[in-house]
Amino acid sequence: MKIYKKQGDTIQIICPPEEFVQKGDYLLIEDKKLRKGLIVQVVDIQFANLPGILEDILRDVMTEDSVQGCDYDPFRVSSQIEVLKDTRLLVCKIRGAIDDGKPRQDASWLPSRTASSIVPYPIERLASTKDGRRPLTLGRTRSDILTVDVKMLDGKLNIITGKKGVGKSHLSKLLVLSLVKNGAPCLILDINGEYVNIGRGKGNEPNSVAERIFVLTPGQNLRFSLAGVGLRAFLDTMIYALDLPRTSSKVFSRIWSELERSGNLNLNALNETIRRFGCHESVREAIYSRFNTLLDLELFTDDPSQAFDFSFFEKRMSEGSAFIINMKDEHSISRRLIVELFISKLTEQLSEMKLRAVFLFAEEAHFYLRETYWDDIVTRMRHLGVFTTFITNQPDTVQESVYRQADNIFMFNFTNEHDLDAVSKVAKIDAESLRLIVKDLPVHNCLVVGDIVRNFPVVVNVEPLNVQTMGQTRKFFQD
Amino acid sequence: MEDSKTTLLPDFLLDLSSESMRTINGGSFEPRELSTAEISLEEEIDEDPAINLKDTPMLSKPTPIPATLGNCSVVAVDVSSIRVGESEQGLLYSLRGALVWREGSSYNFTRCGPLTFHVNDAIARSLNKRSYAKEDLTYSAWSPMTERVLARLRNTLERWMQKIACSRFSKGIVLLDGSLTAGTPDNPTVYVEELLNRARENSNVVIAFSKETRLCYSGKRITRLLDEADPPCMLDIDRLIAPQFPSTPVRLMGRVYVAKLAQISFPFRVDIDRQLPEESGIAAVGRLINSDLVEQGYPETLRLAHILSTFTANEVLAIQRHLSIEYGLRLAPRFSFRRSLFGPFGTSTEAS
Repeated sequence: MKIYKKQGDTIQIICPPEEFVQKGDYLLIEDKKLRKGLIVQVVDIQFANLPGILEDILRDVMTEDSVQGCDYDPFRVSSQIEVLKDTRLLVCKIRGAIDDGKPRQDASWLPSRTASSIVPYPIERLASTKDGRRPLTLGRTRSDILTVDVKMLDGKLNIITGKKGVGKSHLSKLLVLSLVKNGAPCLILDINGEYVNIGRGKGNEPNSVAERIFVLTPGQNLRFSLAGVGLRAFLDTMIYALDLPRTSSKVFSRIWSELERSGNLNLNALNETIRRFGCHESVREAIYSRFNTLLDLELFTDDPSQAFDFSFFEKRMSEGSAFIINMKDEHSISRRLIVELFISKLTEQLSEMKLRAVFLFAEEAHFYLRETYWDDIVTRMRHLGVFTTFITNQPDTVQESVYRQADNIFMFNFTNEHDLDAVSKVAKIDAESLRLIVKDLPVHNCLVVGDIVRNFPVVVNVEPLNVQTMGQTRKFFQD
Repeated sequence: MEDSKTTLLPDFLLDLSSESMRTINGGSFEPRELSTAEISLEEEIDEDPAINLKDTPMLSKPTPIPATLGNCSVVAVDVSSIRVGESEQGLLYSLRGALVWREGSSYNFTRCGPLTFHVNDAIARSLNKRSYAKEDLTYSAWSPMTERVLARLRNTLERWMQKIACSRFSKGIVLLDGSLTAGTPDNPTVYVEELLNRARENSNVVIAFSKETRLCYSGKRITRLLDEADPPCMLDIDRLIAPQFPSTPVRLMGRVYVAKLAQISFPFRVDIDRQLPEESGIAAVGRLINSDLVEQGYPETLRLAHILSTFTANEVLAIQRHLSIEYGLRLAPRFSFRRSLFGPFGTSTEAS
């Protein structure tokens, strides 16, 4: 392989056909005289534009069907012609350098065009954290296994995105299991019921973390007591999930406080008090209609044995567990309500230092996350200890600020230009590389970008997982 | 033709190629620079200036080519040469030949080469010393001028392949690129005689098509004589040309015509074996029209032979790569006095 051209941070390399190179691979351009090397990543593979190639191909096209024949080539020169026709041009991006054996992120010099050697470079050497205390095998690159430290997800904002059926949830489960194994608390907002069997292997056998996985199904084992939720979380839910006007919320606070003072905070009493409370009719109507919606959803109970115990939640989360909120088949209002309630409660617990941190996994968050939460998650809640991983196949539903602030991005295949436009806003990789690599990623392969791979974008074939698959689309034809 | 594939390349040319290439083993060479701007890569042998035929009232009218019913085999041969680089001692040239034949409605080909030669004075001396003349080479005397050596090597391969074509086919038409004029130092009569003899033995008719002609009449190229003619037709101009070569060794071994073979087509100079009766020659052209496609007045078989033998820029690069792998040739950049003396202040073109 030889350097052909350099323009900006792009280096073009002429590559003979016998070298097997794929998009995403890393190469080391080593200048032995300077004792330096340039680390580049292949972002596109093209045919080398040789002089006369069009003429050659036209001749082949003209004669291949209509003229049959054979070549007598005593010196076997034609094999070289085939080699030249298949010679490729590798479009590479400079990702770093090696100076006297030490890796660097910057490279402000140029290797010799003629004297440099170009060889495949196992990027795991730089991107992996094999010596980490909490190893997580993300998968395989073309050269080796890529192991990272789960710690690299701590305090980070992550995005897992890609089109439908490429393995997003699979990777998400891998991360959740690894976090739980390492004692981290996880809360999963599971919109499709894909995570409910995460504690079981394909043969339905419980795995090593099965006892630390808790699946909460609204209306079944997830019902709340008014006292357990508390005024603040309840009010937030009324305001943000059910659009209770601010003036009405003040009246509702007074009603709640009155009942709390009298030691009579239950659903019946609340219902009665709202009906008879001295306030403007429209305010009463606003509160009453929303309260009835809550009652209809059957998410609240006065029976303490049926109510979700937030102190249990705190305890198990602190020990390192995953709580999965199964929102499959839930009404959109119910989803928004539950999420609002949980996030509000989480914020409260984190503010009061009852919890150290939570790894929040949010699948298709646009279905249940209110507009104002996006910025909140990126800024305020992150400081409180909510480290979110968004998982989506509709990248344009995630706000641009999230892409810009994301610390780790796991991108699976996208072919649609509109989707590529959305994901190309990430700050950790140039848009050109992202577009070129992501477009051609096979299923279960993802481009990992960010702190977790020490900012060397790596294409990984995600590690297989012995977990029951629940995310597959139900089919009519079974054969 | 499959079984005669190896015989299409004469052993002595293979040996000569290997022998000449060994003389630069491990040396350096300047590869021919190729760019997309370079339209024609084909090595054209320098031609003499135009020959003006005398105006005469003897010039007859074009003869219509009679329609024929029968089909016959059509076979065509073409050879190309190309300069691939320069060594310190000489030039590196490659040759390739293509033999294309049409039987029924299908076209077939056998392509031979490329053969690369290190063309210098040594190869010329070597040829003389080894007396190839006895067996295969019958050139009068080898000139030390390397550019003539190429013409002779190319002619040798071309005539050899033409001879094979005339021998392996029967009752067909053998199409050649160029004319049937011979007798120059680079194009000995003996080769043409031999191939015509072989053709006659096998009841083949040899017809040569010239894409370019230097013959002029009344100040215009002879092909203009058929501007107004109704195709398919031929105009006999043999009587005008013969007096041009009264006492030279050059021999017109074909009867010379200008032919226009199809509507909306170009006229070409066409040479037909002189020893055949004139009517047989014209009838053969009729059979050709019936047996082959003659788009734009040029036989498809011959067009394919040309396409298959010519080198593309990509192939030249491949040959250069082959030379560096096989003979350890080191590619050296072309030395330029202008660049050396004036550096960046010289002009970009190599003005002489």
